[in-house]
Amino acid sequence: MFLAVTPEPSRMGDVLMAFLSIVFEGAPYILIGTVLSGFIDAFLPAKLIDRALPRNKVLATLIAGFLGLIFPVCECAIVPVIRRLVQKGLPLGCAITYMLAAPIVNPIVAVSTATAFKESVKLFQWSDIGHPIALIQHLVEAAPMTLSRLSLGYTVAVLAGLLVIFFKPSQILRTKIANSIDEARAQNETDTVGHTPLKASFDSKLIKAMRTAMRDFLDTGMYFAIGVMITSVFNTQVNQEILDRVAGNSLIATPAIMLLAIVLSLCSTSDAFIAAPMASFSSAAKLAFLVYGPMMDIKLMFMYSGVFKRRIVIGMVFGLLIVIGVLSGPWTQMIQYLASLKP
Amino acid sequence: MSTQRVVNHLVSVALLLLWGAVLLYFHMSGRLTHYLPPDGIFRPMALVAGIGLLVLGIFNLATIGADNADCCDHDHDHDHKHDHDHDHSTCGHDHSHDHAHAKAACCDHDHGHNHAHKHDDCCGHDHSHDHAHGHSHETAHDHAHGILEESGPLGRTVAICILSVPLLVAAAMSPDQFSANAITNKGLYNPNYASTANSTQFSLRKEEKAAPAAMTSAPLPPATTAAAMPAPAKSTGIALPESALPEKGTRVPGSAAPNTASVATTTLESITAEKTAAAAKNAGPAAATPKSYGTFTLADLKAQVPQSKEGNFILEVPELYYTAGDKEVQGVITGQPVETTAQVLPEKVNNADGKRLRIFRLLVQCCAADARPYSVPVEFADKAPPIKDMTWVKIVGTMAYAQENGQTVPLVKAISITETTAPENSMLY
Repeated sequence: MFLAVTPEPSRMGDVLMAFLSIVFEGAPYILIGTVLSGFIDAFLPAKLIDRALPRNKVLATLIAGFLGLIFPVCECAIVPVIRRLVQKGLPLGCAITYMLAAPIVNPIVAVSTATAFKESVKLFQWSDIGHPIALIQHLVEAAPMTLSRLSLGYTVAVLAGLLVIFFKPSQILRTKIANSIDEARAQNETDTVGHTPLKASFDSKLIKAMRTAMRDFLDTGMYFAIGVMITSVFNTQVNQEILDRVAGNSLIATPAIMLLAIVLSLCSTSDAFIAAPMASFSSAAKLAFLVYGPMMDIKLMFMYSGVFKRRIVIGMVFGLLIVIGVLSGPWTQMIQYLASLKP
Repeated sequence: MSTQRVVNHLVSVALLLLWGAVLLYFHMSGRLTHYLPPDGIFRPMALVAGIGLLVLGIFNLATIGADNADCCDHDHDHDHKHDHDHDHSTCGHDHSHDHAHAKAACCDHDHGHNHAHKHDDCCGHDHSHDHAHGHSHETAHDHAHGILEESGPLGRTVAICILSVPLLVAAAMSPDQFSANAITNKGLYNPNYASTANSTQFSLRKEEKAAPAAMTSAPLPPATTAAAMPAPAKSTGIALPESALPEKGTRVPGSAAPNTASVATTTLESITAEKTAAAAKNAGPAAATPKSYGTFTLADLKAQVPQSKEGNFILEVPELYYTAGDKEVQGVITGQPVETTAQVLPEKVNNADGKRLRIFRLLVQCCAADARPYSVPVEFADKAPPIKDMTWVKIVGTMAYAQENGQTVPLVKAISITETTAPENSMLY
């Protein structure tokens, strides 16, 4: 089946090449995400999430935006995890915030962004610990792009999560998943009213975890494969020089680079290396690329559509585009202004 | 387990094994080198994922018989409850049949419904109770269900195809390299030679950042070299990618003077930082014996860049590319013999007389899909030789710079061009 002679490069070959490379890059993280999802399903008691999170929804959402610092996952791994956590009773606002923030607000991405933009945290001093203003001052001076990326990513994710609080899960989630939340709740209640509680052995829980992982991998993998097929066509068949031509126009540059983020479907750990050398684009445009890309791209559109209603996914595509596009300019200026302040 | 369920389970296992096998095959056969960079986490992750998928598949194959786990353990409780709760004595009907339904239900969810039917013809007993149970159990099963279980025959077939066909076709038919078309689309003819200039545009205190980084990078050139530097400005002119950055190019003499050596090594930090640093390490001792070239600046160039037997500076295309961004570097390297290995495509910019070819290397961060071509034109004295597109060549030439289209273009004036084989890692990382 595998040909002895490697085929000649061709247009078709380019697409297959890009397809395979993104699959090889992403599949390991999907596997991690789905195995995690399986274990959450089998071992995590639903009540635990309820107990661990603060009652106040706004506070809970604010905290969810930082979860990526503790559980760093990139965007391929987070989709199956989020789906499972929602079914386990994580409030939807928190889930959305975690989902959007974690691929940006996490240590791996912070390091890769700082590396790509040749920023260092050399100015950080331990003596700053007690002086938050001096600390921020130094960070802003030393790593402005990294800090802008993490702070804007966090802010946008929290805004999205807060917005979701006003909706019912059934308005956001695919019917199947929304139903399973209600049923999980109902089951929780029946459990407390004399229904035999789960007393499964470790073995059977493990088997269940592995079966869930298998199904989730295929579920997520299918949407991933569709997204990667489309993205690899764009990746190789569309001339990206067009983008450079609009880079000078500040009105079009930001939407154009965000469109590139959608089309390229890069991993959030590596996109900074692509953005950094794009000299023709402004810092604000690059910031938009670095915040939008991890939240939305072609492969994510399909992966999200396995969890959310279609119109919610479409709403996210445009909503995030507008919010991030509009905020990236002022955000860049704000960070520059902060850096210019002398303590 | 119903037959359909067994089939779904086996198909799922087969798909996992397929994905795992493809990942492992690419890793074992070495084809993966064309897709993922060797350093960093992605290649090892692909191996781990390949093994992980096979383990997951085999685990699920081995435990296919574990019915209870599959349908969540409360199915048992559920069955028992039914037997006990119902007051069946009045009609004395088939308990066994209840069991059968409970089993089917664990896959198809329709057991509440079935119960209703069965009970109707028997006696008007506690029926609502059954429904309540039916609901609570459906939940537990529901989230264990994937795409294969919940779609109809058509959806199932489509899902299986999407999960298998593209991967198999790509694995069998991928050429393991991009065509000229893709490389053109990725920006081959749209180079911006001053590009890294803006990568630190966002930074606000450039000098401070540059210097500390230097302290930690690469070995310092011999102290004597540094001490003997005639002028700080010259000593900073060491060719290599990062030196294209404005903060290096416009370095204030004051900041450079105290530790010239460290500033020189700063220039090694680049997108191919490790690679270049390694090259510098290899070249380190050579710097002690500068003889054929008179100036110290050149000695420093020699300290950083390995040379061939003939004395050509061996540089990668991106390194040549970025020399155009730094005047001091150009001053040093202009006219020097350089040697590089790259792929060839026709030149389409400023090539009316057909004297030029374009040579490029692809630079990859995470996977081949994010590859970017870095290219420079090669100019021949007469018409460029006819070389098939994408051929790997070794080019020897002297460096020159031209002002074209508003930017400084690095130009290799070809001395010789020889076809060669692709390097082990066809892409730079």
